[in-house]
Amino acid sequence: MSARDTILNAVRGGLGNTAVDPAAVRREADALLQDLPSIRPPLLADGLVDAFIARVTSPKVAATAECIGSASALPAAVGRYLEARGLPAVVALQPAAALQSLDWAGFETRDRVAPDETIAIGFARWGIAETGSLVFHSDAETPILANFLPLHHLVMVRADTILPFLDDYAAATTGQRPPRNVNIVTGASGTTDIEGSLVLGAHGPRYLHVVIVDEQYDSPNQRASP
Amino acid sequence: MHEATMSFKARAEEALANPTLKIAIDRTTGTAERKRAVAMTQFPQFDAARERGKRIKDHVIANLDHYLLEFERNAIASGAKVHWARTAEEASQIVVALCKQAGAKRVTRVKSMLGEEIGLPHALDEAGIERVETDLAEHIVQLGGDRPSHIVWPSMHRTREQVSEMFKRLHRAPHQEETIEAMVDSARRELRDKFLTADVAISGANFLLADTGATCTVTNEGNAELTTTPPRVHIVTAGIEKLVPSMGHAIAMLRLLVRSATGADVTQYTTFHCGPKQPGDRDGPEEFHIVLVDNGRTRMLREGMKEMLRCIRCGACMNHCVVFRQLGGHVYGGTYPGPMGAVLTPVFDGLEKSRDLPHACTMNGKCQEVCPVAIPLPTLLRGWRDRSWREGLEPSAVRFGLGIHTFVASRPRLYRLGTAIAIRVMRLFSRGGVIKGMPGLGAWTAYREFPAPAKRTFMEMYKDQEKGQ
Repeated sequence: MSARDTILNAVRGGLGNTAVDPAAVRREADALLQDLPSIRPPLLADGLVDAFIARVTSPKVAATAECIGSASALPAAVGRYLEARGLPAVVALQPAAALQSLDWAGFETRDRVAPDETIAIGFARWGIAETGSLVFHSDAETPILANFLPLHHLVMVRADTILPFLDDYAAATTGQRPPRNVNIVTGASGTTDIEGSLVLGAHGPRYLHVVIVDEQYDSPNQRASP
Repeated sequence: MHEATMSFKARAEEALANPTLKIAIDRTTGTAERKRAVAMTQFPQFDAARERGKRIKDHVIANLDHYLLEFERNAIASGAKVHWARTAEEASQIVVALCKQAGAKRVTRVKSMLGEEIGLPHALDEAGIERVETDLAEHIVQLGGDRPSHIVWPSMHRTREQVSEMFKRLHRAPHQEETIEAMVDSARRELRDKFLTADVAISGANFLLADTGATCTVTNEGNAELTTTPPRVHIVTAGIEKLVPSMGHAIAMLRLLVRSATGADVTQYTTFHCGPKQPGDRDGPEEFHIVLVDNGRTRMLREGMKEMLRCIRCGACMNHCVVFRQLGGHVYGGTYPGPMGAVLTPVFDGLEKSRDLPHACTMNGKCQEVCPVAIPLPTLLRGWRDRSWREGLEPSAVRFGLGIHTFVASRPRLYRLGTAIAIRVMRLFSRGGVIKGMPGLGAWTAYREFPAPAKRTFMEMYKDQEKGQ
């Protein structure tokens, strides 16, 4: 008997199961995801953008964040970030149309991330307010290594793609063909492997800066509520 | 492979006599315990979430054959190749054969407890394939030539001073400054080109998603993604109990797992891997293999240990275990240390070789209390003790001692007289409510104090109360 059949038979023997009704199993599984608010933490603020930023900049996530009024303001925001840290204006751009269509005059831009790249600019499909996470899907616009090789990772995310909870991301993609990789990125790379103390920049980026494109930015009181 | 030549007691004595080890254990487990406690205050829904997590795992285990087949079907549809392994040896052989097939000279590995369980590091070394551990702690373990001592912090037994010394000796461009930051940076430099030049990547999985055939890894360093993206072949090894119905269920479990393990709300990187590189993708492996491993899990199902299959490998039970915190992980002799290890090791190695483990427990119940899926660990440990007794594995000294205890305990007058004398003798040795030393108590008082007994026995006090005094 093949290993597969031996294992499946042993499982059935151990369970004492006879026939499984897939529809009943499905109903039971769905029921286990009812009443989600009772099994997840509350958001840190009422507005989604505020809750997202509060989480991104919380000590546990320890990233930095800023809002801009439109994507066209991204190069200027990147310029300010680099200048404040005395970094050269050399950036690797994720090959995403949302980034490459912007005016990067005054920067030396690269379309590939080198193994020792200092600065890379990324574009996340979604933000998650619950955890302050950014979500990337591997595709023609998103090389996975671009999220992990640079020392400074500056990521643009649109305010209208910030979802309240991780569950909302799962719901938004149910039934679609999954990409090879879904990366849910929360803060910079870190390790607690030496004596349990947290050090950033283990193998991935040491610094994560999130730039939120929020058209309501100039009137912060009108931010959308969940 | 495991320090099998030494008895558990000998290993324990060696660990207790090692002052550096105690410092190292305290630093990591102390931090973990504090951070978890803080995370719990920020997650008042924990109790409800834990109950739900337990039910999700129970549901999967009750329908395990259904979910295994659903996962296999969807994984194959995504372009993955699915392999099945009955035993640790079979699993290692499959992985080594896949590496050879790929002509692999260098393999990068993401820490996975299942990989340790099936002896994969050893099997790769035997096959002459260069193995690069990419998780910082596993890198430290590899440099030190020893074994992981914790399932979340495998190099917990090393102090920063020891790590510094090893990196300086073995890294190509070691740190100059004596800070943990500088040491982490040294490892970053050392491993970078190895990530990019490996032929095969091997990882584990925290969850297997039945409805898509995807696997999920959680890491903080980003080493999983750096490992699994550049090579031409990616191999995942996972226990058959890792299944969940869907991503939504995985998310509910992730909230429990990460808080219980490190006190964070989520890990820095949560990644779902589904099949090989897709058309248009900029990077990713051409081949994606998943090895589903039984290795005793169906036996646990059959032999009344199915609650243990809920375990999500967070390590909270060991961080809160008074015995683990004295001894560290190596003493347990198996892949998994602490309370969960004491339950699992007899499954893998046989009770005859590991009967000491279920005894290395005070039954204080702390492990069950902090377990994110409420596994009744003390009950399962008691089950092993019971079985050890029934199968005649307990040594004659224990059987003789228990025989005397049974003789006395079943004769109330004798028992009351004995205890009345014993507590009075013990009180002669107590100072300030504790006993720091007493003939016959040396093994206990060498490492901790013994609480002084009450002035009178329970029965003496009870009788007085009955008389209305």
